[in-house]
Amino acid sequence: MKLLADERDIKFVLYEQLHVEELCKYPAYSDFSQELFDMVIDQAEKLAEKELYPANKLGDQQGCRFEDGVVRAPEAFHKAYRHYCEGGWLAIADPPEVGGQGLPFVVANAALEFFSAANWALIMYPGLTHGAARLLQKYGTPRLQNIYMYKMFSGEWGGTMCLTEPGAGSDVGNLTTRAVRNADGTYAIQGQKIFISSGMHDLTENIVHMVLARIEGAPRGTRGISIFLVPRLRVDENGNLVENDVVCSGIEHKMGIHGSATCSLNFGENGNCVGYLMGQENKGMRIMFDMMNEARLFVGMQGLGHASAAYLHALQYAKERLQGAPVERMKDAAAPRVPIIDHPDVRRMLMFMKSSTEAMRAMLHLAAYCIDRERVAESEEERELFQGHVDLLIPICKSVGSDLGFRVCETAIQVYGGYGFISEYPVEQFLRDCKIASLYEGTNGIQALDLIGRKLTMKRGQLIKNALKTTREMLIKFRKNFRLNELAQIYEEAEENLVQVTKFFALKSMTDEFHVPVLYAKPYLDLFGDVVMGFVLLWQAHIADRRLQEIYRDHNAKDEKAQKRLIQENRSAAFYFGKIASAQFFINQVLTQAAGKARGIMNNDKSPLEVPVDGFVLG
Amino acid sequence: MLEDLLKKGGLAVNIAVLLKQTPDTESVIRIAGDGKSIVTDDLKWIINPYDEFAVEVALRLKEKHGGSVVIVSWGPQRVVESIRTALAMGADSGVLIDDEALEGSDSLGVAKALAAAVQELNPDIVLCGSRAVDYDEGQRGAMVAELLGWPHLALGVAVDSDGSKVQIDRPIEGGKVAAEADLPAVATLGGSHAVWNPRYASLPGIMKAKKKPLANKKLADLGVDPSECGAGAAKIRVTALEMPPERAAGRIINGDLDTAGKARELVRALHEEAKVI
Ligand SMILES: Cc1cc2nc3c(=O)[nH]c(=O)nc-3n(C[C@H](O)[C@H](O)[C@H](O)COP(=O)(O)OP(=O)(O)OC[C@H]3O[C@@H](n4cnc5c(N)ncnc54)[C@H](O)[C@@H]3O)c2cc1C
Repeated sequence: MKLLADERDIKFVLYEQLHVEELCKYPAYSDFSQELFDMVIDQAEKLAEKELYPANKLGDQQGCRFEDGVVRAPEAFHKAYRHYCEGGWLAIADPPEVGGQGLPFVVANAALEFFSAANWALIMYPGLTHGAARLLQKYGTPRLQNIYMYKMFSGEWGGTMCLTEPGAGSDVGNLTTRAVRNADGTYAIQGQKIFISSGMHDLTENIVHMVLARIEGAPRGTRGISIFLVPRLRVDENGNLVENDVVCSGIEHKMGIHGSATCSLNFGENGNCVGYLMGQENKGMRIMFDMMNEARLFVGMQGLGHASAAYLHALQYAKERLQGAPVERMKDAAAPRVPIIDHPDVRRMLMFMKSSTEAMRAMLHLAAYCIDRERVAESEEERELFQGHVDLLIPICKSVGSDLGFRVCETAIQVYGGYGFISEYPVEQFLRDCKIASLYEGTNGIQALDLIGRKLTMKRGQLIKNALKTTREMLIKFRKNFRLNELAQIYEEAEENLVQVTKFFALKSMTDEFHVPVLYAKPYLDLFGDVVMGFVLLWQAHIADRRLQEIYRDHNAKDEKAQKRLIQENRSAAFYFGKIASAQFFINQVLTQAAGKARGIMNNDKSPLEVPVDGFVLG
Repeated sequence: MLEDLLKKGGLAVNIAVLLKQTPDTESVIRIAGDGKSIVTDDLKWIINPYDEFAVEVALRLKEKHGGSVVIVSWGPQRVVESIRTALAMGADSGVLIDDEALEGSDSLGVAKALAAAVQELNPDIVLCGSRAVDYDEGQRGAMVAELLGWPHLALGVAVDSDGSKVQIDRPIEGGKVAAEADLPAVATLGGSHAVWNPRYASLPGIMKAKKKPLANKKLADLGVDPSECGAGAAKIRVTALEMPPERAAGRIINGDLDTAGKARELVRALHEEAKVI
């Protein structure tokens, strides 16, 4: 059994649910075929299993080392990183003009699932490089692109995103790094950044930083932020690489992702740090928003990757670990010991992990697919529709991917019992590595504010209206299957709960109780996530049920007994049965709670805000 | 061509790799109702790992001496993905013998079809794995060599060629044999993943692979009579498949005992329960 990601389920999402092979009918993807997508995914899986995963634990144990201003990535990372770059995996979905393969984004995302499950700490390096290279591609001058961009898309040089400062975490607008105009059109950069992933390391010869800074005299807050390309080594007039006054003053020691270097960087300590403006002055925040969707989806994929690996490891363990008697012979000391997967409580945990992982997978690949549809749209209206879906989904993908991913990792430890807590087994590392996903790239609290503050209000609420229109149209189809009627009913009620809370928020935001939506933004995001996941699973059940009935028919399995036997014997039947079971579990166990969650929010309980700080605890 | 010939280290060699598609070694295998075959629905298929070594060897020889690498395989259309994967690794072209008549063939039947395809391609060297991870019959290379009347160098763990000969190293108990044969010849490969480290198909390689020639052939195209190599001609019949017995649980000797006590308990358990001493 493979233990990183469920390839069969990925292909179910891609071809049976989203039909990504139909993207090939658009000119942008007409060179490709399903067979080619399969090859890409298979090779990604192979690389993940054979090179990335073996370096995962080694990277965790050795970590990064900081010696004399130099940061060394784990030794085991070098070979894997080389294989990754040589294979062209850094630029799967980027245009051939920049050295990419031009594949659909959703196919790149499927490959990423294997990579993120195999070794997230390692994938951070090319991941950040990719983000920085994309920014350069969109906002850089041809000259800068020629010097820096191609080497980034090939992985020869690294890249980073430098936002955070001691006083500017969630509040990016509070940053103090300064940029002063030089006579030649460049800028002198001065300031300190902290927590910069891949800020300094020895996997690449050079690193290109994208630094947020304030130009002298620019307005305070986010309106006065600009972005600069600041290479560690800059290319001078003669084409030589020279030091650019960027120094690493230390690295963090962390709970997880030990293999990823988290660096403090000092820019321009000697007044000799050159930065090149990206886009226009003071438009930095707008550029960040433009790059944000892909970056946040990337972090959501981290949660999915860890969840997927944790689930599959726990499943494998549960099939092998013998402990206890079967529930029917609980008191019989002579009863044979059974694998723990036979215990109902373990089953329940495994089903929670299975359904959550599959729901996240469908949701995240759906978001990636919508990005493709936005790219290939044939009318402005169509493009706007899909962009709206993406904008709405992103904070949910990032937040739910990371939070639920973490919970799946935690449940994996629970399935292992005491062994799960022991470093010899891999699941505790998954949990440690996963935690950061809810923190960086905008904490999940900030994601919730993005959802209620920006996404719900964009285009006067059109985003959620369009999403609901789509789900309701599809629901009519699902409703036609009487076997799914009850699940569809629960879903519809949950969706209605979400609509009620959304209206409640809209009303409150116009009164002096506007802080109530802010207070309950995160529970609202979670409820939204439940509804989205319930929907994609119901959709999957609709497809799986049709396939399963076909298999029953093909094998002439008419009665319950014959069907039961078939799902034991036939691999496809087992798979589709499992898909329906995921939908049933999630909808019955999670989605039924929507009413309670909605009520919790709409009870308008303001006590968390009213309680005096001393009321938390008398100091 | 001249360029190829002038490459250092000898003359260019044209190589045919016989490639079999097998179930993924990580797949859970189930025996079908007939007790003689496996359930193949929704199964994941890969290049037989030993044949993947052969692809790697062929590509290294080509890199060193010039020449070309053609992949020859058989089976239904799903095999195309495996051939394309070998093309993505760097092979030049492929031939798939997709003929229903081959269903139920034994090794000899398949070898007849492969030998006919090889004859048409007229390579200098034929390479393939010494075994396949599915049924492990270990006959394909030897039979193809026999049918062609070519020498067969078995179980190579190192392979080289100067364009007129092919040399292999074969590990034997306590040492190794170096052997060579004049071309044309067949060499089958042993070793393991760690010996050969077959390369990964890169994304640019995958893109190029889709444009490389891949011919579909029927037995008739190769001048082979289906009745000579199909199920009807099979002389070997698989009579049964069986799963290995399930592993019993391990047992940990009581942790409260001291070392001597644990040793005593271990001896007792081995003697009385396991009955192995
Ligand atoms: C391992 C690691 C890697 C990182 N990599 C990078 C990187 O590559 N580049 C980079 O620029 N940064 C990076 N960061 C920084 C990361 O993005 C920040 O830590 C994050 O944005 C949160 O900022 P903070 O830590 O200052 O927390 P704070 O902003 O102090 O937040 C503390 C808590 O308060 C909440 N909070 C803050 N403001 C609000 C508000 N207005 N409303 C509601 N709640 C609020 C937060 O949600 C959080 O729960 C990294 C951090 C780590 C730990």
